[in-house]
Amino acid sequence: METLLNVGQGFGVALMPVNLLYCFIGVFIGTLVGVLPGIGPISAMSLLLPITLSGTPESGIIMMAGIYYGSMYGGSTTSILVNIPGEAASVVTCIDGHQMAKQGRAGPALGISALGSFIAGTFALIALMLVAPGLASVAIAFGPAEYFSLMVLGLVVLTFLTQGSMAKALLMACIGIVLGLIGLDSITAMPRLTFGRLELIDGIGLVPVVMGLFGVAEVLINTEKLIKRDVINAKITHLLPNKADWKASAGPIGRGTILGFFLGILPGGGSVISSFASYALEKRLSKTPERFGNGAIEGVAGPESANNAAAGGAFIPLMTLGIPPNVVMALLLGAFIVHGVQPGPLMITQNPGLFWGIVASMYIGNVMLLVLNLPLIGMWVQLLKLPYNILFPLIILFTIIGVYCSSNNVFDVYVMIAFGVIGYFMRKIGYEPAPLVLAFVLGPMMENNLRKSLILSQGDLWTFVERPISAVCLAIAVVLLVGPLLPSFRKKRELVALEEGA
Amino acid sequence: MSDESNVKLRLNNSELWGGLIGLALGVFVVWSGLRLKLGAINDPGSGYVLFYTGLLMCVLAATIIVAAVTEGGPTFGSRWKDARWTKPLLVIAALIAFSLALDRLGFLLSTIPLMLLLLRLVDPVRWTLAIPIALLAPLGVWWVLKRMLLIQLPSGIFGIG
Repeated sequence: METLLNVGQGFGVALMPVNLLYCFIGVFIGTLVGVLPGIGPISAMSLLLPITLSGTPESGIIMMAGIYYGSMYGGSTTSILVNIPGEAASVVTCIDGHQMAKQGRAGPALGISALGSFIAGTFALIALMLVAPGLASVAIAFGPAEYFSLMVLGLVVLTFLTQGSMAKALLMACIGIVLGLIGLDSITAMPRLTFGRLELIDGIGLVPVVMGLFGVAEVLINTEKLIKRDVINAKITHLLPNKADWKASAGPIGRGTILGFFLGILPGGGSVISSFASYALEKRLSKTPERFGNGAIEGVAGPESANNAAAGGAFIPLMTLGIPPNVVMALLLGAFIVHGVQPGPLMITQNPGLFWGIVASMYIGNVMLLVLNLPLIGMWVQLLKLPYNILFPLIILFTIIGVYCSSNNVFDVYVMIAFGVIGYFMRKIGYEPAPLVLAFVLGPMMENNLRKSLILSQGDLWTFVERPISAVCLAIAVVLLVGPLLPSFRKKRELVALEEGA
Repeated sequence: MSDESNVKLRLNNSELWGGLIGLALGVFVVWSGLRLKLGAINDPGSGYVLFYTGLLMCVLAATIIVAAVTEGGPTFGSRWKDARWTKPLLVIAALIAFSLALDRLGFLLSTIPLMLLLLRLVDPVRWTLAIPIALLAPLGVWWVLKRMLLIQLPSGIFGIG
């Protein structure tokens, strides 16, 4: 009963005209960046973060969340029609989705992808509503030791899932922590690594770092190659899947939803890993695995449902513990903090309107996305024909504007360009930026919680092992760190490794 | 990967350089941590976390260096094989020039040439399209930000922007 009342309150907030408008803008931009290869939800969210400052926290967060789950919908369109993933979570959709399109079944592929995403997104929201308040009440008992260990686990999981050498991913995470510590020490107020520059006293901004590493670096990588787009030109008809399609897709949608939701909750996990895991699961369960890769609708339905369910699940650790499980949620945490709201166990009780408003807006956003992605599919197809040589200068222009507007400071534009160049060379020599960004956000919190727990325990390091939740988190982290030394474990890691931790 | 693209103790081993840069950064962070004072374990100072993170960076970088020397690593050439490497370099040069000009010339006078350069340097867009885009996009953004959102953009020494 209480949940229903809360949901009612949430809809009261989400249905306010201004919030409906922000929700629509969010899901529209999310679909747009999902559709356009070369710009993902991270770049779009960091670009729009400053714009949210003018509105209420509810409006800003509703829009940012809309961009995230909207991009999950839009990414599949590009994968199916062009065979280029619009964003990382849709990589696996290319395999069977584009084959279906080539066989003249682009309509059912797009349809099942949108409908599966809608079902998964709705399930994830219901689960979020049911799980989050309970977890928040448990999380109140968390002390600094638990928070520190959870953050360590989150970083280790992300480095474990990052493609390539784990040592490199961990090195990136360490650099992220160091960058996060630049500025005044929150306990002693001593300036650290500021090199006498006043601009660094408050630390480096998240927006220029993310825009540089993901926005500018992505553009630089893309300019290296001629982007050829094999857009399916045939008219897209029969968007609604037939009975046989539904029969084949029901299981994958159900399994993908549950799998995606739980993988989304895990720190370091997210929509990318869940879509790959769902594809592997469906292929393994199928009686005809040879159809996978040749246009099997299960290979579209499962992963697309999984990545949307994961997008919903990822809100749980952020909203209940205040810990972002992935880079996108780290940006969302930045948005909360910019608005003076600290997500965590007390947020649901202290800011019920905000929490339930965001949840309710996600329901509305999912319905909007269904309308945007099915009847309006033709519009997105036209957009796919926009040449990249016109698109990328515009992306650069918007990144410059986005960064400048976040602080009204030219220094941040320099920082963004510097990180763009660094990010380009990093990626060329096999260093992924995702662990750096997550560590950059978590670094100050980790340091704070580590120092607090050491002060509280009077320097007793056993405090991290004596507390059960902290001990479990650290034990899992140790297994993930040591595991890759075993050949069989290493092979498994390579199978699930992500190209980009999102 | 062919043998020529994987080298061990050679200057063009990209893995080796990645590790060496990581090691240099780690040493710098350790030194910075020490300068900021470590404090005691029951009262950690400002440099405590920096110092231990720096140490961890040194260990990780050393692992990367050892792997690069013993197992070998791709050469810089192989990393950029089949890539149009001059294109990102041109974009980087344009961005650096832009960053130098932004404060001096202001938003409009630095962004319009930047857009024109980007539109013409990589897969050139024809002039009849490049010029209107390079003019209209920054002007449109400037108008929205300055006139509608009242955001102050850098106006440079000429006061334009």
